[in-house]
Amino acid sequence: MTGRPDQDGDHNLRLLGDAWDQAAEHWRDGTARQFGEDQLTPLLHESRGYLEALRKLMDTLEAADRDTESPPGSGRE
Amino acid sequence: MTGIDADIDALRGLHQALVRYRHAQREVAARGEDEIRLARAALEAKASYWRAQLELGQAGLGDCQDRAAQAAEDGAVDCSGYARAVEQSREQLERIRRWQQRIDAEASEFGGTASRFRDLLEAGLPRVEEHVLALVASLEAARRVQAPASRP
Repeated sequence: MTGRPDQDGDHNLRLLGDAWDQAAEHWRDGTARQFGEDQLTPLLHESRGYLEALRKLMDTLEAADRDTESPPGSGRE
Repeated sequence: MTGIDADIDALRGLHQALVRYRHAQREVAARGEDEIRLARAALEAKASYWRAQLELGQAGLGDCQDRAAQAAEDGAVDCSGYARAVEQSREQLERIRRWQQRIDAEASEFGGTASRFRDLLEAGLPRVEEHVLALVASLEAARRVQAPASRP
Protein backbone atom coordinates (compact mmCIF):
# COMPACT_ATOMS: atom_id res chain seq x y z
CA MET A 1 0.00 0.00 0.00
CA THR A 2 1.22 3.48 -0.76
CA GLY A 3 -1.34 5.85 0.75
CA ARG A 4 -1.18 7.64 4.06
CA PRO A 5 -0.75 5.16 6.93
CA ASP A 6 -4.03 6.22 8.55
CA GLN A 7 -5.92 5.57 5.30
CA ASP A 8 -4.29 2.18 4.85
CA GLY A 9 -5.14 1.43 8.48
CA ASP A 10 -8.80 2.30 7.81
CA HIS A 11 -8.73 -0.07 4.84
CA ASN A 12 -7.31 -2.88 7.00
CA LEU A 13 -10.00 -2.23 9.59
CA ARG A 14 -12.72 -2.47 6.94
CA LEU A 15 -11.29 -5.79 5.75
CA LEU A 16 -11.42 -7.16 9.30
CA GLY A 17 -14.99 -5.90 9.70
CA ASP A 18 -15.94 -7.64 6.43
CA ALA A 19 -14.30 -10.87 7.62
CA TRP A 20 -16.28 -10.71 10.86
CA ASP A 21 -19.55 -10.05 8.96
CA GLN A 22 -18.79 -13.04 6.76
CA ALA A 23 -18.03 -15.28 9.75
CA ALA A 24 -21.14 -14.07 11.58
CA GLU A 25 -23.33 -15.15 8.66
CA HIS A 26 -22.61 -18.78 9.60
CA TRP A 27 -21.53 -18.62 13.20
CA ARG A 28 -24.52 -17.24 15.08
CA ASP A 29 -24.75 -19.00 18.45
CA GLY A 30 -24.32 -17.56 21.93
CA THR A 31 -20.55 -18.11 21.81
CA ALA A 32 -20.37 -16.05 18.63
CA ARG A 33 -22.36 -13.23 20.21
CA GLN A 34 -20.16 -13.27 23.30
CA PHE A 35 -17.01 -13.34 21.19
CA GLY A 36 -18.25 -10.31 19.27
CA GLU A 37 -19.03 -8.37 22.43
CA ASP A 38 -16.05 -9.35 24.59
CA GLN A 39 -13.25 -9.72 22.06
CA LEU A 40 -13.96 -8.15 18.72
CA THR A 41 -15.83 -4.97 19.67
CA PRO A 42 -13.07 -3.73 22.05
CA LEU A 43 -10.46 -4.57 19.38
CA LEU A 44 -12.32 -2.56 16.73
CA HIS A 45 -12.96 0.29 19.18
CA GLU A 46 -9.29 0.57 20.16
CA SER A 47 -8.25 0.38 16.49
CA ARG A 48 -10.66 3.17 15.51
CA GLY A 49 -9.34 5.36 18.32
CA TYR A 50 -5.77 4.84 17.19
CA LEU A 51 -6.53 5.48 13.52
CA GLU A 52 -8.45 8.67 14.34
CA ALA A 53 -5.48 9.95 16.39
CA LEU A 54 -3.10 8.96 13.58
CA ARG A 55 -5.26 10.79 11.00
CA LYS A 56 -5.18 13.99 13.08
CA LEU A 57 -1.43 13.80 13.46
CA MET A 58 -0.85 13.11 9.74
CA ASP A 59 -3.05 16.15 8.93
CA THR A 60 -0.85 18.27 11.19
CA LEU A 61 2.37 16.96 9.60
CA GLU A 62 1.05 17.74 6.12
CA ALA A 63 -0.08 21.21 7.17
CA ALA A 64 3.35 21.91 8.68
CA ASP A 65 5.03 20.90 5.43
CA ARG A 66 2.72 23.10 3.35
CA ASP A 67 3.05 26.09 5.66
CA THR A 68 6.85 26.19 5.86
CA GLU A 69 9.06 27.14 2.96
CA SER A 70 11.51 24.56 1.76
CA PRO A 71 15.06 25.52 0.81
CA PRO A 72 15.45 26.22 -2.93
CA GLY A 73 16.65 23.15 -4.82
CA SER A 74 15.25 20.70 -2.28
CA GLY A 75 12.55 19.62 -4.71
CA ARG A 76 9.84 20.41 -2.13
CA GLU A 77 9.50 24.17 -2.64
CA MET B 1 -21.75 -29.22 4.67
CA THR B 2 -23.16 -29.44 8.21
CA GLY B 3 -23.73 -26.48 10.50
CA ILE B 4 -20.68 -27.37 12.52
CA ASP B 5 -18.52 -27.55 9.36
CA ALA B 6 -19.74 -24.10 8.32
CA ASP B 7 -18.93 -22.72 11.78
CA ILE B 8 -15.43 -24.20 11.62
CA ASP B 9 -14.81 -22.71 8.16
CA ALA B 10 -16.17 -19.34 9.28
CA LEU B 11 -13.89 -19.32 12.32
CA ARG B 12 -10.85 -20.37 10.31
CA GLY B 13 -11.55 -17.51 7.89
CA LEU B 14 -11.86 -15.12 10.80
CA HIS B 15 -8.60 -16.36 12.29
CA GLN B 16 -6.76 -15.75 9.01
CA ALA B 17 -8.28 -12.27 8.79
CA LEU B 18 -7.12 -11.48 12.34
CA VAL B 19 -3.55 -12.59 11.57
CA ARG B 20 -3.50 -10.51 8.36
CA TYR B 21 -4.90 -7.55 10.29
CA ARG B 22 -2.19 -7.78 12.95
CA HIS B 23 0.62 -7.80 10.36
CA ALA B 24 -0.91 -5.04 8.23
CA GLN B 25 -1.58 -2.74 11.20
CA ARG B 26 1.89 -3.33 12.59
CA GLU B 27 3.20 -1.94 9.30
CA VAL B 28 0.78 0.99 9.51
CA ALA B 29 1.99 1.82 13.02
CA ALA B 30 5.65 1.65 11.92
CA ARG B 31 4.95 3.92 8.96
CA GLY B 32 3.15 6.36 11.26
CA GLU B 33 6.29 6.56 13.43
CA ASP B 34 8.42 7.02 10.29
CA GLU B 35 6.22 9.89 9.11
CA ILE B 36 6.70 11.68 12.43
CA ARG B 37 10.48 11.24 12.25
CA LEU B 38 10.59 12.42 8.61
CA ALA B 39 8.44 15.47 9.31
CA ARG B 40 10.64 16.47 12.25
CA ALA B 41 13.79 16.00 10.16
CA ALA B 42 12.30 18.04 7.29
CA LEU B 43 11.42 20.90 9.66
CA GLU B 44 14.89 20.79 11.18
CA ALA B 45 16.45 20.93 7.69
CA LYS B 46 14.29 23.94 6.86
CA ALA B 47 15.21 25.63 10.14
CA SER B 48 18.89 25.00 9.43
CA TYR B 49 18.55 26.57 5.98
CA TRP B 50 16.78 29.66 7.30
CA ARG B 51 19.26 30.06 10.16
CA ALA B 52 22.06 30.13 7.57
CA GLN B 53 20.05 32.64 5.49
CA LEU B 54 19.55 34.79 8.57
CA GLU B 55 23.28 34.81 9.33
CA LEU B 56 24.08 35.73 5.73
CA GLY B 57 21.42 38.41 5.72
CA GLN B 58 22.59 39.89 9.01
CA ALA B 59 26.20 39.93 7.78
CA GLY B 60 25.11 41.57 4.52
CA LEU B 61 22.99 44.10 6.38
CA GLY B 62 25.86 44.93 8.74
CA ASP B 63 28.24 45.50 5.81
CA CYS B 64 25.64 47.57 4.04
CA GLN B 65 25.02 49.71 7.12
CA ASP B 66 28.79 50.27 7.47
CA ARG B 67 28.93 51.37 3.85
CA ALA B 68 25.92 53.59 4.38
CA ALA B 69 27.56 55.21 7.41
CA GLN B 70 30.77 55.86 5.47
CA ALA B 71 28.85 57.30 2.55
CA ALA B 72 26.45 59.26 4.72
CA GLU B 73 27.08 62.46 2.90
CA ASP B 74 26.20 60.91 -0.47
CA GLY B 75 23.20 59.02 0.93
CA ALA B 76 23.35 56.62 -1.99
CA VAL B 77 23.43 53.27 -0.15
CA ASP B 78 20.11 51.45 0.16
CA CYS B 79 20.08 48.54 2.67
CA SER B 80 16.35 47.82 2.54
CA GLY B 81 16.83 44.63 0.48
CA TYR B 82 19.10 43.18 3.19
CA ALA B 83 16.67 44.25 5.89
CA ARG B 84 13.79 42.52 4.09
CA ALA B 85 15.85 39.33 3.67
CA VAL B 86 16.68 39.32 7.39
CA GLU B 87 13.04 39.86 8.31
CA GLN B 88 11.90 37.07 5.96
CA SER B 89 14.40 34.63 7.50
CA ARG B 90 13.24 35.55 11.00
CA GLU B 91 9.58 35.02 10.03
CA GLN B 92 10.33 31.63 8.48
CA LEU B 93 12.28 30.53 11.54
CA GLU B 94 9.49 31.64 13.86
CA ARG B 95 6.90 29.81 11.73
CA ILE B 96 9.00 26.63 11.78
CA ARG B 97 9.51 26.90 15.54
CA ARG B 98 5.74 27.13 16.11
CA TRP B 99 5.13 24.04 13.95
CA GLN B 100 7.90 22.14 15.75
CA GLN B 101 6.29 22.94 19.11
CA ARG B 102 2.86 21.90 17.85
CA ILE B 103 4.15 18.64 16.39
CA ASP B 104 6.04 17.86 19.61
CA ALA B 105 2.85 18.40 21.63
CA GLU B 106 0.61 16.39 19.30
CA ALA B 107 3.15 13.59 18.86
CA SER B 108 3.47 13.34 22.64
CA GLU B 109 -0.31 13.10 23.02
CA PHE B 110 -0.42 10.54 20.20
CA GLY B 111 2.30 8.49 21.92
CA GLY B 112 -0.10 7.17 24.58
CA THR B 113 -2.66 6.04 22.01
CA ALA B 114 0.07 4.53 19.82
CA SER B 115 1.52 2.64 22.78
CA ARG B 116 -1.88 1.12 23.64
CA PHE B 117 -2.35 0.13 19.99
CA ARG B 118 1.09 -1.52 19.89
CA ASP B 119 0.17 -3.48 23.03
CA LEU B 120 -3.03 -4.52 21.33
CA LEU B 121 -1.14 -5.75 18.28
CA GLU B 122 1.59 -7.51 20.25
CA ALA B 123 -0.46 -9.03 23.07
CA GLY B 124 -4.21 -8.47 22.81
CA LEU B 125 -4.69 -9.52 19.22
CA PRO B 126 -2.66 -12.77 19.51
CA ARG B 127 -4.88 -13.66 22.49
CA VAL B 128 -7.98 -13.13 20.35
CA GLU B 129 -6.42 -15.28 17.62
CA GLU B 130 -5.68 -18.04 20.15
CA HIS B 131 -9.24 -17.80 21.42
CA VAL B 132 -10.58 -18.33 17.89
CA LEU B 133 -8.25 -21.33 17.38
CA ALA B 134 -9.47 -22.79 20.68
CA LEU B 135 -13.06 -22.41 19.46
CA VAL B 136 -12.12 -24.18 16.21
CA ALA B 137 -10.51 -27.00 18.21
CA SER B 138 -13.58 -27.41 20.41
CA LEU B 139 -15.88 -27.48 17.37
CA GLU B 140 -13.66 -30.06 15.70
CA ALA B 141 -13.79 -32.19 18.86
CA ALA B 142 -17.58 -31.88 18.90
CA ARG B 143 -17.69 -32.92 15.24
CA ARG B 144 -15.61 -36.02 15.98
CA VAL B 145 -18.02 -36.98 18.76
CA GLN B 146 -21.03 -36.29 16.54
CA ALA B 147 -19.76 -38.23 13.51
CA PRO B 148 -19.70 -41.80 14.99
CA ALA B 149 -22.95 -41.12 16.85
CA SER B 150 -24.70 -40.22 13.60
CA ARG B 151 -23.66 -43.53 11.95
CA PRO B 152 -26.34 -46.28 11.85
